[in-house]
Formats: sequence, structure tokens, C-alpha cells
Amino acid sequence: MNAPIRSTWIAIFGILFLTAFILNGCKKEDPAPPTPPDFGGISIQFNHVFNGIPLVLDSLAWSDDFGNEFEVNELQYFISDVRLHLHGGGAYQIGSSDGIHYVDARIPASHQWYPGDQIPSATYDSVSFTFGLSAVKNLSNRFPDPPERDMFWPELLGGGYHYMKLNTKWKNDSVPELRPFMMHLGIGQIYDLNKPDSIIGFVQNFFFVKLDSSAFTIEAGKQKALVITMHLDRWFDGPPNAFNLAILPQGIMQNQPLMHEVCLNGRGVFTCQLPTAN
Amino acid sequence: MNRITLYIIIFLALFSCKKSDPPVSSYQPTPYQIVIPFRFPTQLNIPDDNPMTVEGIELGRMLFYDGRISGSAHPDSMMTCATCHLQSRSFECGIDHPKYTGGHPFGVTGIPTPHYMMPMINLVWTHTGYLWNGKIYPDNPAPGIRHLEDLVWMAIIAPHEMNSDTNKAKILIQSISGYPEMFQKAFGSSTVTVRNMGKAIAQFVRTLISADSKFDSYLKGEVQLMPNELNGYVLFMTEQGGDCFHCHGGEGNPLFTTNLFYNNGKDSVFTDPRDRYQVSGDPSDIGAYKAPTLRNLIFTAPYMHDGRFKTIDEVIDFYSSGLVWSPYVNPLMHHISSGGNQLTPAKKADLKAFLLTLTDSSFVNNPAFGMPDLP
Ligand code: HEC
Ligand code: HEC
Repeated sequence: MNAPIRSTWIAIFGILFLTAFILNGCKKEDPAPPTPPDFGGISIQFNHVFNGIPLVLDSLAWSDDFGNEFEVNELQYFISDVRLHLHGGGAYQIGSSDGIHYVDARIPASHQWYPGDQIPSATYDSVSFTFGLSAVKNLSNRFPDPPERDMFWPELLGGGYHYMKLNTKWKNDSVPELRPFMMHLGIGQIYDLNKPDSIIGFVQNFFFVKLDSSAFTIEAGKQKALVITMHLDRWFDGPPNAFNLAILPQGIMQNQPLMHEVCLNGRGVFTCQLPTAN
Repeated sequence: MNRITLYIIIFLALFSCKKSDPPVSSYQPTPYQIVIPFRFPTQLNIPDDNPMTVEGIELGRMLFYDGRISGSAHPDSMMTCATCHLQSRSFECGIDHPKYTGGHPFGVTGIPTPHYMMPMINLVWTHTGYLWNGKIYPDNPAPGIRHLEDLVWMAIIAPHEMNSDTNKAKILIQSISGYPEMFQKAFGSSTVTVRNMGKAIAQFVRTLISADSKFDSYLKGEVQLMPNELNGYVLFMTEQGGDCFHCHGGEGNPLFTTNLFYNNGKDSVFTDPRDRYQVSGDPSDIGAYKAPTLRNLIFTAPYMHDGRFKTIDEVIDFYSSGLVWSPYVNPLMHHISSGGNQLTPAKKADLKAFLLTLTDSSFVNNPAFGMPDLP
């Protein structure tokens, strides 16, 4: 083999090598980077109970402190800005899905949230979150698709989204026909006259919930399961406010004083547990 | 072939990670992209096995308008989708239909449809099931009753529609010159199948998007609503007017329907064997039907699944003072215990003025949705 041919060979192999190198780049087999040893994950399960009994929809199984019997037809809500508070100060805030999670009693998949966050492994002593959406996050049209979309709150009433829709029907001995009561929370309005065209200001009703839980540890490379339970009876019975469905209006939307009282109850509605298997 | 070329080929073949290209064929349909209108949802209901193509839509439009899909070429027994779904009536049949008195359609043999017409617009955003009771839905354990595609064989055999059989239909279509070529272009096979007829028509139906009403322009900030229309909109969105938006959408949901099912308080006795309860088995769905979109109401009388209201005014009167209590009424009908939202005549007029801002005349005149020249 003479010299010019040899150099052609070298050039060809050079090109082939490069080509192979580039083509190889489109292989899919790259393994995911291993979880750094000092991070773990979290999953949050949402449970709904009434006086400690798991919620059953559409069933006339519940009653308030005044003996009104009622059924729950829908329960839909947002929680956001979940924070894990470090033992000794500081907190980690869940950032996946913009830190917003939607729960719908009719959609079982929504009862489990697996944020993809890499959470620093440490001992945390409590969990907190925003019930609903904070003013910064409660942006109109942020959810174009159902089911979150169907939570939208009218623009003229402040916009954004319902924090919660809790639709019920109640009855009692003197009102034997089921009547609607809708506990809808969202931005409140200050009315000059009692008319939608006389709104002079808005009130952010979202609130902060801090749950005391026994300290838990996020272990490196492991998934920690938390359970957040909503005690629905406390929306109605408090503390601090015990509502009598028979004397409430049919809803609380556009009724800021009542929304405010309901939100006071809301602060005590949740508890957090660590499943024993953890 | 010299050795170097051979090496190159072997080398490239060894390292190439591309799947080898499928053999080139004459079947190369043109992909069709749905343009999502302002504020409309982003998730489309298009099954993986029926991507939208220009050729598929064109074929679907032909079949939608061709009475011979009923398997008959005789004028008396020819029937097609467009016999009942008229573009000029926003693809319902209209209360003034020349044949279907009062807007109640019947099949080729005279058997009335169990329900009246319902909206057939913006269906590419329906994920909760088609028909008034949502009976056609993706997880349906019964195969063949899952997608928009399936409505085609159902319409062909239904006694209250074409009352035909699918064999007759596909044999006739196969025999019409022009169609086999179109099936080839759309689906890569010139053999007419009912499955492909369904796919083509479903593709066409998915293009029936109505999003060009005055209200849409208002949302985009292009026009202002008149004071009475705005008043009506306030009623639509608030307690004072009956919170229509909870079920029928609004600025945050411009489909003007949640596509969910509710009992809206029309009756106290329920005997319809085709309500939502028959599909869900949930007693709270007794007497429930899908909340229809409120777009294009001007074209789509009569209203409700049983066509009981002839005018928009009658519907507004119903929500104002005609509500009937039953244990199944959805709690969102929160004026139920007082029979309705008790609107004054002036407020009723405002509410109606708002509803009419949802009229999209360009849709009912869009030549792309009209009758094509048939093969
Ligand atoms: C005889 C009249 C008639 C004919 C012919 C007919 N339809 Fe319909 N269509 C109806 C009626 C009535 C309904 C409402 C049915 C119900 O839910 O009970 C309906 C409902 C529908 C729906 C459901 C819309 C929704 O929002 O869920 C679609 C889609 C549809 N038809 C498509 C078609 C297609 C495609 C054809 C032709 C293959 C066709 N129809 C032929 C009368 C007809
Ligand atoms: C609880 C949910 C709900 C609320 C609130 C509600 N609707 Fe409806 N609406 C429905 C359902 C469900 C239907 C269809 C019922 C049927 O066909 O039997 C319907 C049907 C209609 C129709 C007939 C449309 C057609 O194509 O046939 C109109 C118009 C209408 N509603 C307007 C309104 C207005 C205006 C308001 C507020 C005053 C309102 N709705 C409030 C659920 C609701």
C-alpha cells in the first residue's frame, strides 16, 4: 500500500470515527443520573373523613352539630406551597407542578401526589401549606384544561380559581326536602351596595395551615410517604364556628363575612400522619 | 462496489441507531394541525390510531354529506349525518327543519330519535363521553362504543336513524368511483371499511370548531359588550343570576360547558331509560344529562334533551321560576327551594342579550364545513 492511499485510509477512518461518535449520541440508553446520596423523595396522600369515618359521596350519612343531616356531592380543592420545616429552622418548599396540587374526591388519582422534588435528606418536624392558592399563584387562566379549569372563579368577583368547592345537600325534621348548601371558597369581595356592580375591593381568603406532626426523616434515596387528612366535619362544626345549615344561606360565595368565618374553621381542618410502615 | 465503500456501509450500519425507514409508499397523507382558539383547552381528544390528516378530513366531509352511507341510493331511504346535523343550525336540526316538525328527528322508517339534537361543535375538547348521557367514552367496557368514530356505525344501524347495515353501506361506497381513491389517500388502502368511514367522519367532525363569537372578540379585548350584554354576563356569573357558569363555563372556560352531567331541576319523576344514571349507575345521576355548550343557541332550538323549550326565553323563564324539586337536583341549582333565580323581565332580557353574544355566524357560513361536490 503506498503512502497516498494510506493517508486516505487514515482520513476515512477519522471521518468514520467521528460519524460513529455523533450517531451514538442519539442512543436512548443513557441511565438517569443516580440520585445524589443526600436527597430523598416524598409522596403525599390526601384522605377525607367525617367524624373520623372515610367520606362517602352522595350518601346522606353526615350531620352538623345542630342535627341537620346532609350528603356531600362534590369536594374539590387546591393546596399549594407545601413546606417541610427543618428541625431547628429553615424549610424546603415543594416546587413540582408549580407547587400546586388539585384534589377531587371523585378522581382517585388526585388523592396521591408524587412531586418529583429531590428533597434534602434531613429530619423535618412539620409540614405546612397554603389552602387554596396564594395571591401570587392565583392567576386567571393558568389552567386551560379540566379538571382544574372548572375551578375558575369569575373575573368580576376577583378572578383566579375557587380554593374549594364543597357541594352538599341537607335536610332536617322541619325541612324534609334536601336543600343545597355550597361551601365555595375563593377571593372575597367588599360591596358598597349588595350588588355585583358595586364591588369596591377584594379580599384574599387563602390561608396558611401548619400541621404538627411527629418529626420525620427524609432518607437519602428513599421515598417518604405523608398522609394529609381533611376532617370535613370541622368545616361545619369548627372550632371556632359551629354553623347551622338550616339558617345559613345556600352558599357563601359573594358573602365575605361568611367566607371569613369558614376560613377560620379551615385552619383546623387538616391533620398530618406518617403511615406506620414508614 | 469497492472495498472502501463496503467498509463505510458496514461501519455506518453498525453504529447507526436509527430505525430503518419504512418502505416508501404512495400513502403519504398530509398531517392536519388543529389551531387552538384563544383560551381554549390544550388537551385534544384525538385517538392515537386516527391522527388528523387533510385527506382524512376531506373524505370525512364527503361521507358526512353523502346519503349513500346509509347503504341506499334510493332518494326515499338515503340518509346521512347532514340530514339531521345541519351547518346552518350549528349542526343541530333546528326547530324549523322542513321534515322534522318542531325539531324532533326521526329515522328512515319514521321512528323518532329517543332524544332531541345536542351540540356537535367543539367536540375535540370532549373527554367525558359523547351523547346526552355520555354513553360513548374511552373506558367503556363495551368495545365499539368508545370514540367519536363509533358513532358512525351506530348511526348506520340505529332503527331511529339510518336503519341499515354496515355491509350494505361499505359495498355501496366501495362501488362509487372516486371513493376508493380517497380511502387510499387517507388510509393507505382503497378497500372501504366501516372503521375507516368512522375515522374519516370523526376527523371531519373534530374540525367543527366554533370560537368566533362576539364574546370571543370581547375576551381578546377587540370589542366591548353593550351595557345590557354586560349586565347579562354579570347575572350569568353571579348568585343574582343563578351562577350559570358553574355548569356552563365562562371566561375561564370558553367552551361554555364543563361537559359534565347534572340534573338541572326540570322534573320530579324520571322515566327516561337513557339518562346519565343508565351509564354511571350512580343514583345521584338520575335525571342528569350533559350540560350542553351555550354557544350558538340562536340556531339550535328547541332546547334540552327532550326539546321541551322552544325559545331561549322559555329556558330563561325556567331557570327563573320553573325549577322543580327532586332529591336528585344538583346542589349547584341553589335557587331550587325558591323555584328559581326570580329574574325581573329586564334582567331576563339582559341575560338573553348576553347569551346571544355567543353566536358565531362565521361558523355556520364557513364553506369548509359545507356540502362538498360528491363523487
Ligand atoms: C336521524 C337524525 C340523526 C342522524 C341521521 C345522525 N344523527 Fe347524530 N345525533 C342525533 C341526535 C338526536 C343526537 C343526540 C342523541 C342523544 O344523545 O340521545 C345526536 C348526537 C350526535 C353526536 C353527539 C354529540 C355530542 O356532543 O356528544 C355526534 C358526534 C353525532 N350525533 C354525529 C353524527 C354522525 C357522524 C352522523 C352520521 C354518521 C349522525 N350523527 C347522524 C341525530 C342524528
Ligand atoms: C347545575 C348545573 C347547571 C346550571 C347551574 C345551569 N345549567 Fe343550564 N343546563 C344544565 C344541563 C344539565 C342542561 C341540559 C339538561 C337537559 O338536556 O335535560 C342545561 C341546558 C341549558 C340550556 C339548553 C341548551 C341546549 O342546547 O339545549 C340553556 C340555554 C341553559 N342551560 C342555560 C342556562 C342558564 C342561562 C343558566 C343560569 C341561569 C343555567 N343554564 C344554569 C345544567 C345547568
